[in-house]
Amino acid sequence: MQTQTDNHRWMLRPDVVSTVLNDGAVILDLRSKFFFSANLTGWAIAQMFETGATRAEIHTASRQWGANGADTQAIDGVIDQMISEGLVEPANAPASAVAGVAVAAWIPPALTKHREPLQRIMVSAFDPGLPLAE
Amino acid sequence: MISATAAPARFEAAYSCGPVRLVLTFDDRSLRDALHGLLSQYDAPWSAPATIVHVTVGNGTAPRETAKPAGTYLRLHRLSVDWNGSRLLSLGNIGVWMEFDPAASRARIAVPVHPDTPALVEEIEQQFVLLLARSWAQEGWTPLHAGSLVLPGETRCVLLCAPSGAGKTTFIAALLRRGWHTLGDDKILLRMEGSEVVARALARRFHLHPSSSRWFPEAGDLDIWPRYSRWTDKRVVQIEKVWPGRLLDRAVPAAAVQLERSENGPALLIEPLDPINTLNTLLRQVAIPGDAGHARPLVACIAATAVRLPAALIKIGQDAFADPSTAERLDAELRRLLP
Repeated sequence: MQTQTDNHRWMLRPDVVSTVLNDGAVILDLRSKFFFSANLTGWAIAQMFETGATRAEIHTASRQWGANGADTQAIDGVIDQMISEGLVEPANAPASAVAGVAVAAWIPPALTKHREPLQRIMVSAFDPGLPLAE
Repeated sequence: MISATAAPARFEAAYSCGPVRLVLTFDDRSLRDALHGLLSQYDAPWSAPATIVHVTVGNGTAPRETAKPAGTYLRLHRLSVDWNGSRLLSLGNIGVWMEFDPAASRARIAVPVHPDTPALVEEIEQQFVLLLARSWAQEGWTPLHAGSLVLPGETRCVLLCAPSGAGKTTFIAALLRRGWHTLGDDKILLRMEGSEVVARALARRFHLHPSSSRWFPEAGDLDIWPRYSRWTDKRVVQIEKVWPGRLLDRAVPAAAVQLERSENGPALLIEPLDPINTLNTLLRQVAIPGDAGHARPLVACIAATAVRLPAALIKIGQDAFADPSTAERLDAELRRLLP
């Protein structure tokens, strides 16, 4: 899979929203209602997908951020997870649109999926949760 | 004598609902009266000028040429809601239709003929809650289904998160008796103001079960207050009538509690919550729509709130408030939680 998709360009789906936290970001898939937390380097990888990126471009950027050969598996793991979870979709955009993402200190990237999705069916537009029996 | 060409009677009403003012025109006087209970509840004072949204509520059905909403924006128990890029289109299970254009601040609610009038009114109420939630968000506010407790003499508050029926109101009432203040028991608005997250009150009423007067005798006979809805025995109680001087309009969230009811466990169980579970807890109290443009600011506000707050999971056993030491322990725990 890795070699086949090295040069395939992927982009975050338009209904995936992300927001920065102190030490990474939270990524919410509005379609599945699952959310993910990314550490700083996982977030940097996700940011590259905002404008579209290939696996090869992410590996190149990761080396510039401080990754070495030992990090290849962790980087591929995050990319594979984003593809398998459907957070990214094939992009038709041409190359050269890769975001200029900076990473202050390299750590192995991580993307953690939270066990329970947010509510898919809600009680009201102000009260998402099911009421408990009195 | 009434002319055959005379315009049908219209019935008007207006309500201030936090930062939004609704100006309403009804075809049907009984509908205007039936909605008063819902629309008068957002009565916390707001000094800032309100955005005005004009709503007509008339007899009718969804326009034939409009596709039935699939619920891609929000799927609620009673409503399926889509966003077409400029308007919210919302259809209820028994056919109440709403089209809301936030940019024009105008909405139209069409009410079909249906034999179940209470169900019809509930569906219209849900359309109004949807309209208000979107209007508040348009104004930069994130509607959060949570109660709050404000430290005595301060403006810092604890956000209290739990589903309806888990005991938020009882928890809050137990601490109001110990000098704490509140912004309300289940509805607040959050917004980033500079580097600070601010919480504002929306309603000056509690939803209290009549049986809770056994723990709070000062509340008197709660059965005399109006019923909240036909699905619950809870009563709509004006907080200031029972606990005068305990309502505030604004506070700064400084801690969060995820509250759970424990049927068979100990009276009180308290565990720390890590930041990710704090975020999880808060996100579950916000109706996040399927449109990325609308969802993004809500998620950003909740994330910015969650990262600042120390939090705890508190499980409260059945009848725990019969023991006065429960409130004492909760008081001490919340003070410890606040940085």
